[in-house]
Amino acid sequence: MKQEESKILKDLGKDPGFKVPENYFEDFNKRMLDSLPEVEIKEEKSVVKKPKTLWVSWRPVFYAAATVAGVFAMITVFNSVNGSTGSQIQKLANDIDKDKNADELIMSGDANEYDVLNYQDSVNMNLEKASDMPSK
Amino acid sequence: MAARSTYDEAQVIELLRHQDTARAAFGQVIEHYSSTLYWHIRRMVYNHDDANDVLQNTFIKAWTSINNFRGDAKLSTWLYKIAVNESITFINKQKSLNHLSIDDEDSFLVNQLESDEFFDGDAAQLKLQRAIATLPDKQRTVFNLRYYDEMKYEEMSEVLGTSVGALKASYHHALKKIESFFQEND
Repeated sequence: MKQEESKILKDLGKDPGFKVPENYFEDFNKRMLDSLPEVEIKEEKSVVKKPKTLWVSWRPVFYAAATVAGVFAMITVFNSVNGSTGSQIQKLANDIDKDKNADELIMSGDANEYDVLNYQDSVNMNLEKASDMPSK
Repeated sequence: MAARSTYDEAQVIELLRHQDTARAAFGQVIEHYSSTLYWHIRRMVYNHDDANDVLQNTFIKAWTSINNFRGDAKLSTWLYKIAVNESITFINKQKSLNHLSIDDEDSFLVNQLESDEFFDGDAAQLKLQRAIATLPDKQRTVFNLRYYDEMKYEEMSEVLGTSVGALKASYHHALKKIESFFQEND
């Protein structure tokens, strides 16, 4: 602070030359307090802390476990749906390999036309690959 | 002085939070801060009667908004903030009454000092007040808070909502302007 001050300010000092009437502050304090309007104080309600029950203590862990279980269940269902489609095609392939008529399979509800076409495409692809291979 | 020695700010703040004790506690606040705030306001508005009015407004405003004070800041910081705002509001009103722009100097306020019965300063002190009055209101506030009230920049930063660096620069510029005023009016 002292380093900041200029020489002029040092020479003048800090008395600005202002005065107040005698007993001004004593009178002011009393007058001020008497003239304060009515104010409603909003008191903060004290919050009584309830003891933690076992459920409250373990609730976050339970929620976390439930979330993990939910995700796991979704993955399982997703995989089983994909897996069943795969196994249906496998079953279809076996049946066709056993020279079952595709129309019979469709009629019996074991496969639909799309499954049969898919299978035939894959068989045709394998046959093309085999024909492209050089014969020994 | 006896009342000041028994003033316990933490206890007063607690008492201010309850309907049955708040008024008496605010009485302690008035007693503790009236002098400090008065001198700050007086150095801003110069005239005693005006300072008296602004000080009253400051305490009325503090009391009527006491529910907004939650003890996050120091009570002195909060009161200073109100006093600074009330002082600048008063000065702006005076400028408006005198058909002056808000950006005009506050020299018109100092002109009344010579005839003020509650000013007994000499020519040098009057000259210093004239020099200070050439500063823009906010810079004058910074100068008064630092030079006369010896407020720390950190607290001033909370009062004025300005960074410490900007306040230091503002004070430095204020000193330079005051020196220049003295050199030009030697």
